Amino acid sequence: MRRREEARSGLDVILIDIWEGTDPKPDVDRFCELWGVDSTILLDETAEYAAALGIRGVPTNVLVDADGTIVDVGLVRLDELEAAIDRLVGR
Amino acid sequence: MTELDIPIGAACRIDAVAPGMTIAEVPVGLDPEGVAVDLGRRRAYVACSRADNVALVDLGTNETVARIPVGAEPIDLVYDPATDRIFTANAHSDSVSAVSAETLEVVATLDVGLYPSGLTADHDARRIYSGNSLGSSMSVIDLDTLETIATVEAEVGAGAIAFDRTRELVICVNFIAASATFIDTKTWTPVGRVEVGVGACAVGIVPELGHAFIVNSLAGTVSRVSLDDVAVLEELTVGRAPVGLTVGPRHDRVYVSNRGSGTLSILGAADGMHWGMIPVGGGPGGIAVDGNRVYVANAGSGTLSIVDDLLAGAPPRPATEPPHPLIGHRLPEFSLVDFRTGERRSSREWAERRYIINFFASW
Repeated sequence: MRRREEARSGLDVILIDIWEGTDPKPDVDRFCELWGVDSTILLDETAEYAAALGIRGVPTNVLVDADGTIVDVGLVRLDELEAAIDRLVGR
Repeated sequence: MTELDIPIGAACRIDAVAPGMTIAEVPVGLDPEGVAVDLGRRRAYVACSRADNVALVDLGTNETVARIPVGAEPIDLVYDPATDRIFTANAHSDSVSAVSAETLEVVATLDVGLYPSGLTADHDARRIYSGNSLGSSMSVIDLDTLETIATVEAEVGAGAIAFDRTRELVICVNFIAASATFIDTKTWTPVGRVEVGVGACAVGIVPELGHAFIVNSLAGTVSRVSLDDVAVLEELTVGRAPVGLTVGPRHDRVYVSNRGSGTLSILGAADGMHWGMIPVGGGPGGIAVDGNRVYVANAGSGTLSIVDDLLAGAPPRPATEPPHPLIGHRLPEFSLVDFRTGERRSSREWAERRYIINFFASW
């Protein structure tokens, strides 16, 4: 879904990994291999940044406009995400 | 200030429409997924899948008081009062551990199929069912003798299981195949199949209605399935990325944990309406219920939420998830380590660009 949306919309997709414990590398490596993930992955090891955004679950998508404004949060289902991306790209 | 001039604040506000009340959030360990309650001892047992142990929570003090090592990656667990044993499905050990709740020691380890991820006990029939995801099968085990009675072919991703003794039926939900296998308990053979949503991972049955409720985590829905017609009747909506499901003790409601929202949904069993949504911990999964008290294992925050369901019945309107409070606000700046390069990267790199942030966890 991430790769598809990146290609379809031209938007960058930044993955932020949370809630992995003290040694995320082996699990994240396995995850990337399993799902073919090659996007940017950032580590929020303490989940402080996620907490600052009020993120309470995974997966959660946050759409950000060119002026840095958050335009949507949540969007787990593909149809919801595609509609939100269309709104963002069409702005 | 007069007696009646009481300031309204968080400490004294009563929200008449609040569907639930948080009693406690108890730290338990890494990646808790399954939970069961031992009413006799006033304990909760929580399977901490990435800690390879079961956390024992004292429900008098709401503290974790012991950790019991079991097999690798215990995902689900059940407690059997008759034998006073806890059973865990150890996904990476391809086994089920039987633990004495008295001594807190493993008393037996049973081989099952590959990657067992769901466990359900039929206490009256003295059976325990293990859904073996990568073995595409369901093991049937005698609760007393611990002997395997049957291994039934299901489909890839077999995990969550529910039973209906009146129809002599067991339903095994297959996560990867996005299906449910209907199994006859007289012959232990598959007798039906229904396609459900993507990522089907939890199931509960309301025998009086003749319906199973199946959570489809990736599709973001709950399928209502007719047990007699072997057909999906409707798709119900709850919160984001639902993963756990348990039928309430009065069979009038179904509890669903929403991993993407950090909430517990209450769904009307008959009307299918989304009655309410209660905030719980981060990334919730497994659910256990005792009366109107609900226990939710939160894989993300590593906690057990204990909440009370305050709804007497269906509310006038369905519950909806409010818009996120940060929508319309500037994204707070971040400075985080790049997983691949180890370098610190900040949101300034993406300035004046449109982009998507995807918060995820590998589990």
